[in-house]
Amino acid sequence: MTTPLLERFVSEARELLQSAAKGLLVLEKSPDDDACINEVFRSVHTIKGSVGLFDFPAFTKLVHAGEDLLSAVRAGEAKLTSEVVDLLLDALDQVSAWVDAIETTGAMPEGADGVSRTMTSALRGILPADYGAAAKAAASSAVAVLTDLAWLGALAEADRLAAFSGVLDGAAVLAVEYVPLDDCFFSGEDPFGLLRQMPGLLALSIDTSEPFQPLDQLDPYRCILRFRALTSAPRIEIEHQFRYVIEQVRLAEVAPHALVSVTGETNGGPVYEDFVDEAGALAAAADWDALRRSVDALLELTGPSLVLASALRWLRAVLAVPAPEAAWVTALIGCVARDEPHDGPLPPVPALSPRASSTPPVTEPAPGPKHAIGVVATRILDSQRVLLDIGRNSGDLPGRLASAGRTVTNLLIAAGRGDDADHWQVMLADARTQASPDPLIALLDGWLPADSPAFLPPPAAGDGPPRSRPDPSEHADAKPVSRILKVEQGKVDALMNLIGELVVSKNSLPFLAKRAEDVHGSREMAREIKDIYSVIDRLAQEMQGAIMAVRMLPVSEVFDRFPRLVRDAARKLGKRIVLVIEGEDTAADKNIIEVLGDPLLHIIRNSIDHGIELPEDREDSGKPAQATVLVRAFQESDQVVIEVTDDGRGIDPEKIKASAIAKGILDAERAARLSDQEAVNLVFYPGFSTAAKVSDLSGRGVGMDVVVTAVEKAGGTVTVTSRTGEGTTVRLSLPLSMAVTRVMMVEAGGGTLFGIPMDHIVETVRVARGSIKHIKQSEAFVLRESIVPLLRLDRILELEAPTWFGDGSEEDAVLVVRVGGNLVGLVVDHFREGMDIILKPFDGILASVQGYAGTALLGDGRVLLVLNLKELL
Amino acid sequence: MTLRIVKSTVNVEAVCTVEEAMTLLEFLQANAAARINLRACTHIHAAALQVLLASAAKITALPDDGFLSRWLAPALGHRLVKGK
Repeated sequence: MTTPLLERFVSEARELLQSAAKGLLVLEKSPDDDACINEVFRSVHTIKGSVGLFDFPAFTKLVHAGEDLLSAVRAGEAKLTSEVVDLLLDALDQVSAWVDAIETTGAMPEGADGVSRTMTSALRGILPADYGAAAKAAASSAVAVLTDLAWLGALAEADRLAAFSGVLDGAAVLAVEYVPLDDCFFSGEDPFGLLRQMPGLLALSIDTSEPFQPLDQLDPYRCILRFRALTSAPRIEIEHQFRYVIEQVRLAEVAPHALVSVTGETNGGPVYEDFVDEAGALAAAADWDALRRSVDALLELTGPSLVLASALRWLRAVLAVPAPEAAWVTALIGCVARDEPHDGPLPPVPALSPRASSTPPVTEPAPGPKHAIGVVATRILDSQRVLLDIGRNSGDLPGRLASAGRTVTNLLIAAGRGDDADHWQVMLADARTQASPDPLIALLDGWLPADSPAFLPPPAAGDGPPRSRPDPSEHADAKPVSRILKVEQGKVDALMNLIGELVVSKNSLPFLAKRAEDVHGSREMAREIKDIYSVIDRLAQEMQGAIMAVRMLPVSEVFDRFPRLVRDAARKLGKRIVLVIEGEDTAADKNIIEVLGDPLLHIIRNSIDHGIELPEDREDSGKPAQATVLVRAFQESDQVVIEVTDDGRGIDPEKIKASAIAKGILDAERAARLSDQEAVNLVFYPGFSTAAKVSDLSGRGVGMDVVVTAVEKAGGTVTVTSRTGEGTTVRLSLPLSMAVTRVMMVEAGGGTLFGIPMDHIVETVRVARGSIKHIKQSEAFVLRESIVPLLRLDRILELEAPTWFGDGSEEDAVLVVRVGGNLVGLVVDHFREGMDIILKPFDGILASVQGYAGTALLGDGRVLLVLNLKELL
Repeated sequence: MTLRIVKSTVNVEAVCTVEEAMTLLEFLQANAAARINLRACTHIHAAALQVLLASAAKITALPDDGFLSRWLAPALGHRLVKGK
């Protein structure tokens, strides 16, 4: 059912969900953490991207809604309140449940569509109203506005001309800048393929957002491409086309003048003064037909690569409509004119921005290329001055004044010189009343003197202003290559088993050495074998250490889910709790870490639910309203210790005793004799719970005994210490690794070897048979003034007991073990040495056999049965 | 496989996939004098496109494909050489 791709998706989605949830919690505390919101957004976005590879529409929709909400939050359009975080976390939980379902069945669970719809609308409900509408209409988030249009000039002139004509015909032209994420290839995107399907493509330029690395260092899978395009398609179609990468796309409607830029070689050929004069006059007289003819004629005579040809082509395009914009025409004529007399070089990419005040398609005024404004402005002002001067005596002065007035006003506003624009208007009025352009010319002369510094940009910005694009790929540049291998646990386990076998086989060398000496009588041989043994022994131990290190995981694996738990629980119960985690780097074997999760969860829930008081109660008893839960992990010799400490009300021993009596666990007389600590320990008793009522959090009828069982199964211990009114500490102590078990070998039933886990063993004693007490059927002996029950291993295991001989002074070997807090004496035939073994639990048909923890191979090839005393006794 | 290598010329044919970006890159890295023939190419994945743009290898033919030849020409045209 599942494919490798799906498996990868599942494991990836889990990680991303985890990191998103973690980020959300941080965000709730510090909503302005931009890095964090980006991180969360990225995680959710990546999930959305990868789920798109599969057919899980309900999944995609929900993630998409979450992404939209996050994007709105990022843009400051929605506020991240606790309620919003709750909703988002719920959504993540739901997604996580789906991921689980997908992993097991390869499909979404039934009813997912409905759940998705409800949650999606809940999420969308938070979005601002217009945001929601846009999202519904185009399934898109807010598209960033493209502000820097300087690159338009670099598009091929023919394409721009075509676009320009389109605009004049009334079509809207959109500039699209698409900068894919640098890791987009890994989510299966093909940006170029996407672009290929772009509707109404008019022009396209492909370049990179940074220079390429040298070919030998190039990483082809880090996308640095940048696509810039012009399209005639409506905005909604483009948004739909790029709906999955919409945050990597920026759009702007292009005002026609922004498309105009005159490029080419400067002219060394014929002088066009005649044309300029004629054209100026024709334009002034609005005789467009004549001007068109004149332009066409001249264009045929002009080398197509010249700047003049370029200007003329633009002029032709501008004139292509019945009523051309006079300001553009004059500006372009000015361009031709200025090229001539100076015969000097134009700027490498001369850009011309005649602004049209009456151009209808400009809905979103896109400023002209700013870096050229100084040069362009000067040129336009100059050309206006020339035209005003020419028109001084013609009969068309009012028209000229109006045209020049408009052009210069717009230019001044665009240059951000509102004051001058006002001044210009005043002079314009003067000029009208005087019927003379002189006031305007005077004003222009005042602004124009050789490269008027007011209009020229600072030299540093001459070639292009710094781009202020909030591009996520830019600050993710130095992403280190991951050096982490993901290895299936089974492979590591297999390796560990092999090393285990090696350890065992290695143990047979001493036997061999002994045989060499005893049987073959060669001491020398025996010594050589022992030498080799010591080398192999060292290597085997190192290998064992190394493989253990591979399996070691930091406890943060488990701790990571606690912040969420504490937050949710505290909110639900109306308590104020801060969770402090210490030592999350402490590492332990993966199995141990896995065992830890549920007990710790339980302990923390208990603390929050029962231990910590409501804020007002806390204040009444003189504590800060905010409670602290401290989770601390550290290593203590070969144990990993985890303590959960709260500063709540603590466990009241009297209450525990009363509860224990009420439940019939012990009688009042025994209860009275218990010390406080012993009373506290009663919480471990199966079925014990003091919670007055069953709450949603804990107290579901399972108590601390579950914790104890789980921890003891992993070879650990649990202790609780508590001070009434001051708090409770629960301490879990677990072995660092479960792989190697230390056992003591004993002999029973006439020579059969058994292993007994060392952590049960308290001591070994020899007890004279005569001093064994018989109490009814049972036996006991006195060990340092306390009575210890005595059991015989051979009887328990139903082995043939050795024949009893000798008198009462003969001594029995008694192993004193502690099982569930009680001491028991175990009579065995002989004690043997302790040893490290790799315990293999029973499997298959033997798995149901009670009383054994498993088996281990001995160096001489025999099988050692390791007892599980808890089950046995 | 849509990369067909003949001596020092790599012929990119049909759809050049994301995986082939690496193959293409390795070929270009190993052959300083490599030439690229794109004539039969109908689509090129953006990753492979990056490789094309990053290298300085001569191009013996632009794609016949209308979309590709039109929009790749400005970026690759200057590397076009006459040849077989």
